[in-house]
Amino acid sequence: MPRPQPRWITFSIDGREVRAPENSMLVDAAKHGDVEIPVFCYEPKLGQPVGACRMCLVEIEGIPKLQTGCSTPVKDGMVVYTQTERVKTAQQSVVEFLLINHPLDCPVCDKGGECPLQDITFGWGGGISRYIEPKRHFVKPLELSPLVAIDRERCILCYRCVRFSQEIAEDYQLVLVERGAESYVATFDGHPYVAPFSGNIVELCPVGALTSRPYRFRARPWDVEDAGSVCTFCPAQCNVSLTVRDERALRVLARENGEVDDGWLCDKGRFAYQSFHVDERITEPLLRDGGFLRPVSWERALAEAAAGLARAGARSGAIAGGQSTNEEGLLLSRLVREGLGSPHVDSRRAGPLPLELHRALGDPALQARTSDLEFAHAVLVLDADPVNDAPIFDLRLRKGARRHGLRLAVASAQPSSLDATAALSVRHAPGGGPALALALEAALSDGPDLESHAKAAGAHAAQVRALADLLRGAGGEEAATGGREIVILWGERFASAPNGAAGAAALLGIADALQMRDTEGAGLLEVPAHSNGRGLREAGVLPGVGPGLAPAPEVGGPGLPRDARSIADGLADGQLGALYLLHCDPLRDLPDRELWARALGAASMVVAHASFLTEAVREHADVVFPAEAYAEKEGTVVHPDGRLQRLRPAIARPGAVRGGWEVLAELALRLDLDLDANDGTTVSQALFDAVPFYAGLTLDEIGGRGVRWQERPAASAFPLPDGPPAREQLQPLPQDAEDLAGHRSVWDAQEVEFSPSLEFLFPHRELLRIERPLARAAAAGLPPAALEVVLVDPEQGLDALPR
Amino acid sequence: MAATSTPKLLFADIDEPGLHTRAVYERRGGYESLRKALAMSAEEVLAELEASGLRGRGGAGFSMGKKASFLPKGAMDKYLVCNADESEPGTFKDRELMQKTPHMLLEGIVIASYAAGANRGFIYIRGEYELQADILDAALAEARAAGYVGEDILGSGHSLSLVVHRGAGAYICGEETALLDSLEGKRGNPRLKPPFPANQGLYQGPTLINNVETLATVPAIVRMGGEQYAKLGAPGSTGTKLVSVSGHVQRPGNYEIELGIPSREIIYGLAGGPPEGRRVKCWFPGGSSAPVLTADDLDVPYDFDSMGKAGSMLGSGAIIVIDDSTPILAVALKVAKFYRHESCGKCTPCREGTNWTVKMLERIETGEATPMDLEIMASVQEHIIGNCLCVLGDAMAMPIGSMIAKFRDEFEAHIEAARASRGLGAAAGSETALAAQGAHEDDGRLAPQGAGAQAPGEHAGAPGTQKGGA
Amino acid sequence: MSARERDEALEEQLDTVLRSALAGRSRPVPRFEHGSRVPGWDEAVDLEKDPAEIPDPADTDVPPALRKEIEAHMERYPERRSAVLPALMAAQRLHGWCSPQALEQVACVMRVTPAYLESVASFYDMLETAPAGRHRVYVCTNISCSMRGADELYTAVRDAAAGDADFNVRAFECLGACDIAPMASVDGVYVGPLGPEDVPRLLDDARSGRPVLAEKQLAKRPVADPGANAGDQTAG
Repeated sequence: MPRPQPRWITFSIDGREVRAPENSMLVDAAKHGDVEIPVFCYEPKLGQPVGACRMCLVEIEGIPKLQTGCSTPVKDGMVVYTQTERVKTAQQSVVEFLLINHPLDCPVCDKGGECPLQDITFGWGGGISRYIEPKRHFVKPLELSPLVAIDRERCILCYRCVRFSQEIAEDYQLVLVERGAESYVATFDGHPYVAPFSGNIVELCPVGALTSRPYRFRARPWDVEDAGSVCTFCPAQCNVSLTVRDERALRVLARENGEVDDGWLCDKGRFAYQSFHVDERITEPLLRDGGFLRPVSWERALAEAAAGLARAGARSGAIAGGQSTNEEGLLLSRLVREGLGSPHVDSRRAGPLPLELHRALGDPALQARTSDLEFAHAVLVLDADPVNDAPIFDLRLRKGARRHGLRLAVASAQPSSLDATAALSVRHAPGGGPALALALEAALSDGPDLESHAKAAGAHAAQVRALADLLRGAGGEEAATGGREIVILWGERFASAPNGAAGAAALLGIADALQMRDTEGAGLLEVPAHSNGRGLREAGVLPGVGPGLAPAPEVGGPGLPRDARSIADGLADGQLGALYLLHCDPLRDLPDRELWARALGAASMVVAHASFLTEAVREHADVVFPAEAYAEKEGTVVHPDGRLQRLRPAIARPGAVRGGWEVLAELALRLDLDLDANDGTTVSQALFDAVPFYAGLTLDEIGGRGVRWQERPAASAFPLPDGPPAREQLQPLPQDAEDLAGHRSVWDAQEVEFSPSLEFLFPHRELLRIERPLARAAAAGLPPAALEVVLVDPEQGLDALPR
Repeated sequence: MAATSTPKLLFADIDEPGLHTRAVYERRGGYESLRKALAMSAEEVLAELEASGLRGRGGAGFSMGKKASFLPKGAMDKYLVCNADESEPGTFKDRELMQKTPHMLLEGIVIASYAAGANRGFIYIRGEYELQADILDAALAEARAAGYVGEDILGSGHSLSLVVHRGAGAYICGEETALLDSLEGKRGNPRLKPPFPANQGLYQGPTLINNVETLATVPAIVRMGGEQYAKLGAPGSTGTKLVSVSGHVQRPGNYEIELGIPSREIIYGLAGGPPEGRRVKCWFPGGSSAPVLTADDLDVPYDFDSMGKAGSMLGSGAIIVIDDSTPILAVALKVAKFYRHESCGKCTPCREGTNWTVKMLERIETGEATPMDLEIMASVQEHIIGNCLCVLGDAMAMPIGSMIAKFRDEFEAHIEAARASRGLGAAAGSETALAAQGAHEDDGRLAPQGAGAQAPGEHAGAPGTQKGGA
Repeated sequence: MSARERDEALEEQLDTVLRSALAGRSRPVPRFEHGSRVPGWDEAVDLEKDPAEIPDPADTDVPPALRKEIEAHMERYPERRSAVLPALMAAQRLHGWCSPQALEQVACVMRVTPAYLESVASFYDMLETAPAGRHRVYVCTNISCSMRGADELYTAVRDAAAGDADFNVRAFECLGACDIAPMASVDGVYVGPLGPEDVPRLLDDARSGRPVLAEKQLAKRPVADPGANAGDQTAG
């Protein structure tokens, strides 16, 4: 769908000629002339202006009444005044009206010092008060949710928060009730406002009416610093600004980037900073000693890890989790391949995909941008659940559907939060995504296999046909000439499921049938299972794949390169000995928990680079390196759409925590491998040099907004496949298909579990309490009849019992 | 001009038994205008409406024909909404029409929808009018059965689906954009204009919104021809108008008059004037939103332009007469409280201004005010007027402002009397408002009950020193 | 004071203290005493509750008749949300007021959140957001009626119905019947002009289901305009 192309016009404001984009609202246009028009309710992110607060009244020549600058589009030749007596009187009166019911408790208000109401009162208010009647009173503050406190006395009824709830998040939980001067912001019948994006209302509030409970009274604006970075808690990689005081992150705010987050954050991104500073955080190297993990020096920990890994040598495996940076991934894969001579590195959750398919799916001409999700004619969400996979995409899709007429289609095994927004929702059997793609491909080419593929997918053929019609007809007649902009947002689990390769090939067929390659604004967008899934892949953390999706150098180790699951098999049956876990707890993050429990139990050496003593680390790690939180890291990550983004250290590392690249480099040295890692910049430079299609990049070029590598000349170095990928036959689905596809919501994560204010979101399970004979009673010198108490997760069943 | 000689376009034999049924309405020539209109082209009907000079009878007085012509041409869903949310205090004319001659309204709606090319219609009737809504529903069912409403009306190819939608008690829903929001199932908050409903109204589609009386007049215009209709009334205010007269008059009720007759003739001639021995103190010529006029203005011709020139407005055509037995403060308080209650709360000046005005008036009533509070009150009204999202704020500020201006002496006398009855001395009248309030503060006895418990900051310290204070 | 009385007094005191401690915020605060509050001034959320999303049809019982009525309303409009007002009215007729349960039922049928409905319901005067008597007596107290004795009428009705939970007596804004001022709408039927002497019969009629003040009903009143019924005077 055509994006607005601004035409520049000239208008006059306060007697000066100013150039501004035509039809931009006066308050925005005025900024081009360095004129500030005060606003409260105006927030372009919230959609159409509502003109409620009346703060932005200006005088326009030829119009008798004062007009709201927030809702008046600027035209060529318009003559605007913002400084006349009339305007000043109106502005002063609005400030006076707003303050008559405002408690003026600024000294004890969190917003004080960064409060638009304070600033505007100072700048545009009359300075005196004529109101002596009693003010409106509310009990304050009250809880609105576990995360947000509400002070209704301070509220100036600007409508921003309720507009967010109703028009952006579309959860319709936060509303205004009653009428007139008695209106106030509330939820239904005392229910808390709990929704994935609820925290945004705190940032939207132009007064201190909505405050963050975790941040309340922690700091004043003048004793904090802002530090920009990128949230790596999920693949959406929203740009954030951390509020830092005394080397502690006290708050996370959105750092608007239209090509990434559109200025919003999910509640996890906004509040999980608490996990940086909790007592549970690992801040020292740990070594298992007599069955217990005990703090040791770095020297000792590195030496033990190096010795253990060296003993296993080529019989080692390594897995990088999504919080790893590209640089860490690159160093880890070199350490394993070059230092240990083992080819067994992986970063994907499940299921290998042939290199040719990785290359075909990564074709720069096929990559959609994040903003395409909003401006496309149609988007198909295929086997992905944005609110659980990369929450901020959920808002983007809603925005597209609401504002730009985007036709949304959802194809998934589970009901999706987007169903209500979607023009069409197609359900398929668990693990049936690939078959559905084949069916859709058949439907688009009117091929004969539609019925059989749809059956294999567990979907209705008629629905698949409807889906094909929706995509083919998106945008109507107009789009037929200009090109139908269609985006398929697909989840990594789609290509990880059984038949993933066949599905991926079908996806490419669909892309061709819809002419995605030739259409600007169309393409594929993969949601990786981990935050930096894409970056780690491009850095070469895949079995048999080196940096830049080149074949990995032969390392001479035994057997074929193993993927994550096969590493587990190898450990369990003794073919592999050691395992390096970088930001990964296989018992939590990877499918087939039972296999992994056996694998970890059998491993001779498990080195974990981790922040928390989660189960695998607690029970199985022999050496634990304390890992950095993202706010402490330097390095780069890659957004799902190919945007390289830069992490910058915002706070100091706690305790003995060292940089991830440093630790890997140290460890490599002990394995007689010099990784040439002298500082963060050289490590990043090494990455840019290693990946041909990143060639020439610098950290400066990435800057604060990121760079999509596809938009740089070096993109031509991308290793395109030689021809269309080989087609694989559909195999019948195993019974437990969904388990194999394995999926974990981004909300079900350690940073949620370890953030006190978010704990309520962490899916707690009722644990069963079981008593059993203590197996090693004798060894422990206890009476043979001693019992031990264990807690069992009923979902995992008895298999999960610690052995 | 004798009142009885006024041509009755809307009220002719309105109490004829059974007029609310199709049979009687048709016997009296009902739905002939519709047939006539459907035989013409939509443009021709529109031209007749424009030629009639008919101005909207709901309050704003905008040319009906022009409004209908603003709708974009072409095939798309267009809407016609009949505004039957008659809630302006003192107004009850639409009620009479809907209750007694609902088919006249339906006929007008169908003709207007044909002229404007609208294919979906809604009658938004205030929820309190339950009887009238039931009658409309029944009439609509009859009209549908007779093919006056529905698909391919009388073989013309024009279709109109029509729904009677009942409101639920909110004055603001009489404001056209608030009505649209309410009809869409939302809170009745007015929308920003532009976009105007003609371009983006109901469900974002082009929408024509007209008052009941306006639409009910349409059949007569089609029957007579626009030019003939325009000969009635006064220049710029053509035709007949229903006037609701209430308050201190001997014969309150609805009257159909020709626009332009002297107001005195309506208030005294038709409605009988105030009770014996009473004089007109002031009167609202167009509902309680209109600035008040006094007995001096009784000879102003009752039409749109003359009322405007006299500093008020014709509004909905509701004359409320107040005689000299009623204190102006009581009138002001009623009016202000009403608008405070009905303010939707969306925009600041209206929400806070109506609330503040009521509080100030209450202080006057209880003897806690000084004459300088009148200055503040007058200035608050000025700050409301023209600065709000819709006209509701102005609807309070204009009459209150006019009362302060025209009855200042009475307000001041009341302030003095109320203070005296509380045993307080005369307030200084010549100092500045703030100084007056300072005095107010210093005098402990002046503090309202419980005021001692107010949080600091509400009663300011030294006046003039509170930078940015409220 | 006897020992027992003392015990009781102590208990009561303890009870108060306990309750305020439990509530955490219900201790009287002096600055709230002057009465400038709005309804819902202390409305807090219960963090133990789940967020109020669109009710799940599986665990929301909607009376079939109500569901049918709401669905019929939804069909009348191009967009189902337009049926919110008639749907809420229907639920109110059934439940007596827009109770949380009523809102949840409507929300379930209309597929909107109950908060959305609460926001709408609290905006309109005819929708009750607290329990109310089933007989509605709206006394118009706006300006025209007020000048003819509406305030006294309202007081009389209110006092006469005091204690009778069946009556919902409200002072209403202009009901659009100033020609019969002072007037009231009794269960939707307009009657007037009323004097204090009409009040007992008004309540009795409503209670017993008889037509309310039959001779004073607006429905039967001819138009005031003397020229209106003088034969066809149509011009042109």
